Amino acid sequence: MNVLVLSGYGINCENETLHAFEVVGFKGKIIHINDLIQNPKQLNNYQVFAIPGGFSYGDDTGSGNAMAKKILTNLYDQLIDFSLKDKLIIGICNGCQILINLGLVPSLNKKDPEVAMIENKSGSYECRWIEVKVSNNKSPWLKNISTMHLPVAHQEGQFMIPVNLLKNIKANNLIGLQYIDHQKKLAKGQFPFNPNGSKDDIAALTNQNGNVLAMMPHPERAFYHYHIPNWQNSNLKKFGDGYKIFMNAKKFFA
Amino acid sequence: MTNTIQILSIEKTGKESSLQKEHNNKSIKIIDGYFFSRNLDDEKFTKISKLISNDVSQTILTKKNINKVLSSYSNFNWVVEIKFLPGVTDNIATTVKEIIKDNLKSSFKSFELGSTKIILIKGRKEDITKISKNEANPLIQTIKIYPFKKFLNNFKKNQFKIEKVKLPKKKYSKKEINLDISDYHLSLIGKLGIEENDRSRRGTLGLDLESLKTIRNYFSTIKRKPTDVEIETLAQTWSEHCKHKIFSAKIDDIQEGIFKKYIKGATEKIIQLRKDNFCVSLFTDNAGGIEFNKDWIICHKVETHNTPSALDPFGGAITGIVGVNRDCLGFGKGAKPIANTYAYYLADPNKKYQLYRQKNKDPMLPANFIAKGVISGVRVGGNCSGIPTPQGNVYFDDRFAGKPLVFCGTVGIIPKKIKGKLSHKKKANPGDIILMVGGRVGKDGIHGATFSSEELDPNSPVSAVQIGDPITQKKMSDVIIRELRDENLYSSITDNGAGGLSSSIGEMAKESGGFIVNLEKVPLKYNGLYPWEIWVSESQERMTLAVPPANVKKVIKKFNARSVEATIIGKFIKKEKAIVKYNKTEILNLDMEFLHEGYPKLNLKTSFPKIKKEKKKIIKKSSLIDKLHKLLSCPNIVSKEFIATQYDHEVQATSIIKPLQGEGRVFGNATAIKPLFDDEKSIALSQAAYPQYAETNPYDMAGCSIDTAYKNLIVSGANSKKIAILDNFCWCSSDEPDRLYQLKEAAKACYDYAVAYQTPFISGKDSMFNDFKGFDKTGKSVKISIPPTLLISSIGVVDKISHLTKMTPDDDDILVVLGNTRNELQDSVYSKIIGYEKSKNPVVNSKDALRTYRKFEKANKLGIINSAIGIDLGGIGIAVTKMAISSKKGLTIDLKLKNKISVDQFLFSESQSRILVSMKKNKLANFKKIFKDSDYTIIGKCTASDVVEFKDNKKIMRGKISDFAKSYKQNIKGL
Repeated sequence: MNVLVLSGYGINCENETLHAFEVVGFKGKIIHINDLIQNPKQLNNYQVFAIPGGFSYGDDTGSGNAMAKKILTNLYDQLIDFSLKDKLIIGICNGCQILINLGLVPSLNKKDPEVAMIENKSGSYECRWIEVKVSNNKSPWLKNISTMHLPVAHQEGQFMIPVNLLKNIKANNLIGLQYIDHQKKLAKGQFPFNPNGSKDDIAALTNQNGNVLAMMPHPERAFYHYHIPNWQNSNLKKFGDGYKIFMNAKKFFA
Repeated sequence: MTNTIQILSIEKTGKESSLQKEHNNKSIKIIDGYFFSRNLDDEKFTKISKLISNDVSQTILTKKNINKVLSSYSNFNWVVEIKFLPGVTDNIATTVKEIIKDNLKSSFKSFELGSTKIILIKGRKEDITKISKNEANPLIQTIKIYPFKKFLNNFKKNQFKIEKVKLPKKKYSKKEINLDISDYHLSLIGKLGIEENDRSRRGTLGLDLESLKTIRNYFSTIKRKPTDVEIETLAQTWSEHCKHKIFSAKIDDIQEGIFKKYIKGATEKIIQLRKDNFCVSLFTDNAGGIEFNKDWIICHKVETHNTPSALDPFGGAITGIVGVNRDCLGFGKGAKPIANTYAYYLADPNKKYQLYRQKNKDPMLPANFIAKGVISGVRVGGNCSGIPTPQGNVYFDDRFAGKPLVFCGTVGIIPKKIKGKLSHKKKANPGDIILMVGGRVGKDGIHGATFSSEELDPNSPVSAVQIGDPITQKKMSDVIIRELRDENLYSSITDNGAGGLSSSIGEMAKESGGFIVNLEKVPLKYNGLYPWEIWVSESQERMTLAVPPANVKKVIKKFNARSVEATIIGKFIKKEKAIVKYNKTEILNLDMEFLHEGYPKLNLKTSFPKIKKEKKKIIKKSSLIDKLHKLLSCPNIVSKEFIATQYDHEVQATSIIKPLQGEGRVFGNATAIKPLFDDEKSIALSQAAYPQYAETNPYDMAGCSIDTAYKNLIVSGANSKKIAILDNFCWCSSDEPDRLYQLKEAAKACYDYAVAYQTPFISGKDSMFNDFKGFDKTGKSVKISIPPTLLISSIGVVDKISHLTKMTPDDDDILVVLGNTRNELQDSVYSKIIGYEKSKNPVVNSKDALRTYRKFEKANKLGIINSAIGIDLGGIGIAVTKMAISSKKGLTIDLKLKNKISVDQFLFSESQSRILVSMKKNKLANFKKIFKDSDYTIIGKCTASDVVEFKDNKKIMRGKISDFAKSYKQNIKGL
């Protein structure tokens, strides 16, 4: 089981993302996008492609846009190919924004992106812990998880989805995660439970196969129990909720 | 054909909403504009617009659709167009250029572009003017306000323009400066700068007459005239900023100066006293380093960026944070930045100070503009660099109206050994190539001037205006830390900060002997720079490396593969000479000894200052609960949650004690990160400064700062034997004997308390002239000096995560105050907000304090302490309420135990070295055993209720926790 963790141009969560995969049993490598463009064939050596969080190109021209355009020009076919195989792709935060800009998620009509990531309703950067529920049990990434306590840290985390497409997304069961409140009910857009004003409290989307997951919260930052706020008062043992996502990737190939 | 691309968001953006809210709900729309230096044909327009926009969320304006699209939002009638002045860093434009280059390959070359923000409003001209004042800074941006109709016309007729950097065409010829002139003319060179052929002056060199005479003597001995480059270089190298002349000067009877005697002296004494020296690198490198565990070193550095932040708060602060990140990159062979810290000392954002640099013109930026800009500068710098920013604080005082203090710090980590060699040792060897990597060189921050453009008053004393580019730096940093350092491909590294190449190369060359630099090789942002400008420019995002010739090709290739420029600009030599050439002409040739040590040493005298007595304020009659609400909601105590949530403190997945603590999210005094996946050791961080105590007694003020910064780490669970501190002195009028007296006193306290606590100084920085000299709104001249401010930053190692404490007690816990509470209300928050009668200023008794700290440490390791919070601003009253807010648990406080002081003195005194702790009932016996010969007071207990209650002999006063939380979480007015 090998994971390729992408880096370069301001992506910045590659170390902790790789670490999370390694702890659950993957072998992995951080590969700079320029090296991948030079030699795209190396993708064949990997079963998981992870785009970590960060600030690629400083979010200029829209979060994830510039990196998505670079991939589109140089690596798009290979990545589509990867997504059509029995392999997994995950984009976390900036990675999520990149996947959305590439149209790899929800990928209902191919090629052109159908969803946009826009600025948080609050207008400011939000680094805070939220709770999400899993809304889609067909994605291998999300199997057997009900809720998770995870941090978000983004300026542009609001999923903007045209009305018709949203119907289609729901019909196809492509909503991965939704923000919930303290009573474990949908946040209904209420801040700070829903930190960005995302429609239908969407925190993650998947493609139709469920093997591509684009999520705004950071599971790698909720990996160990001591990552969780006020962990001294909690009875978590070794791991936090984020661990479950990485374990699911492992189980998929086990 | 068109020369602009303009894009707007289909739905209302968060930014638009907040602007609308701030401006009486006027209809507002923001357009992202890109102005090109060339016309785009339709094909290019379509291709490029598609590359930089999003079909789903945005609309691209065209001549055909513009009327329809914009009228669908509102009947706009005014427009403001905001773009950067030529030569100011435009990060968005850089990205767009890169996108075009990457995706359109060779089909579109040689063009310039600038990013623009265009704001449309339905409202009056006053409204748009007000918006422009809140959104733009005339020092770095052009602001054009015009009617909407003109905007439409401009759009349709391609009348948007990008202003390029226009530098007069000039050919450089070596310029020799005659110093054999009168004292008067000599001092003019120092004050106004070197005279150009057209008789204009280059701008102040900051050289006094004595320094210029020293230079004259040197050149008369070597029998030639100095070149302009030599004088500029000496001015940079000898500046207060680089040489810290005041700290190294003889002062009264202290021959060696206060740095050597009190700061470095303290550290040397501590190392001598302690057998377990954990210091690795002290004072000489870009940051100070201590041992973290057997394999790793951590380093810490804190810088200030005050003047730049006063002029361009966003640019000043972002440059401050990415600049101090480079100090870590330049520590030893290159440490990876793992945490940022910040501390802002600002004027009240809700007040209008109306200060002017010149009579009736050149206004200071409003206090809220400065506050907002500073906060967002560090946000963008830290977040975009992927470095967590967990630790910080903000303090407000009117005396920062003329100069804000902006402290930015970074912690780094580096393996002890790299390929068997000690990583903190570096040495540029003779023959090593000088490689400049990262950004290019422009006019940024030369004598601090931006340039050109009529909007800028030519006489305004504008200094260093730069805007950091965190992404360029991140790319460079990744190559250094990940791909070069551990391969041992370079022999030395340092950052380009103040003084640019002249300073970085000059410093590094001390390791080899000397250097030869060919300035024409330095890559430039635009043509037309004079050699001296290239040499001293402070353009950001650059590091200088010393690379053995055999590795140079490999190193350059690695940088280029990551889209980072790396250029050979010279070599290090053995001979102790500093040599600079420009197109083969030698324009600088100085002895290294003279360059670094030739400056005339100062001889300072101090005198006891007149103490300004605080005006007696009558205590306003109000209830205790009322007073608590007033204090909780005052800007210096109120929660700084709004900053903590916009600074990513979770990136790198190391955050273990977060800035917001407990379910009730109280802004903590200390934070901790766990930097290595395979070691449970953590790093605790804190900081403290008490400018409000300075005028009463600077010695005690410094004592309080050290005590608080140290205490906060002890409270967090750090190992007392592994705590180091950093000093950042921000002083005022440091040419006046009474200010120097205060400085000497504060420095003396630094020695006394550091030695008493055995906590060494590992790094520090000073900024000595934080004064504003200008005019008020009536044209009267005013001088506003900051209160002397000493920021002590503390960094410590926590051995086990089980030692980390929390501030949330559990039901039935006993509450105990450790330490002694005295009537020390002078200069306290209480005295400012509520009033005071007669009181003393807080004084630290280091013996008592240490007794408390050692016992606390022991009790905590034994698991006796259940929760703890350091007592500081607002005293016990505020510490208790914060504990309740954080845990959402009720507390009962017994006021009968207050001893001989009044209730208010007991609850609000800011006596130092105190900790509020809670413990389970069954631990009390053990606790008493440990603390038997030490001061403590059992003050109450934790209850399952929703109130904090204070019991007196006669009555019970209650306040609901949710009400306290509301006061504590109030917005700061003006922000």
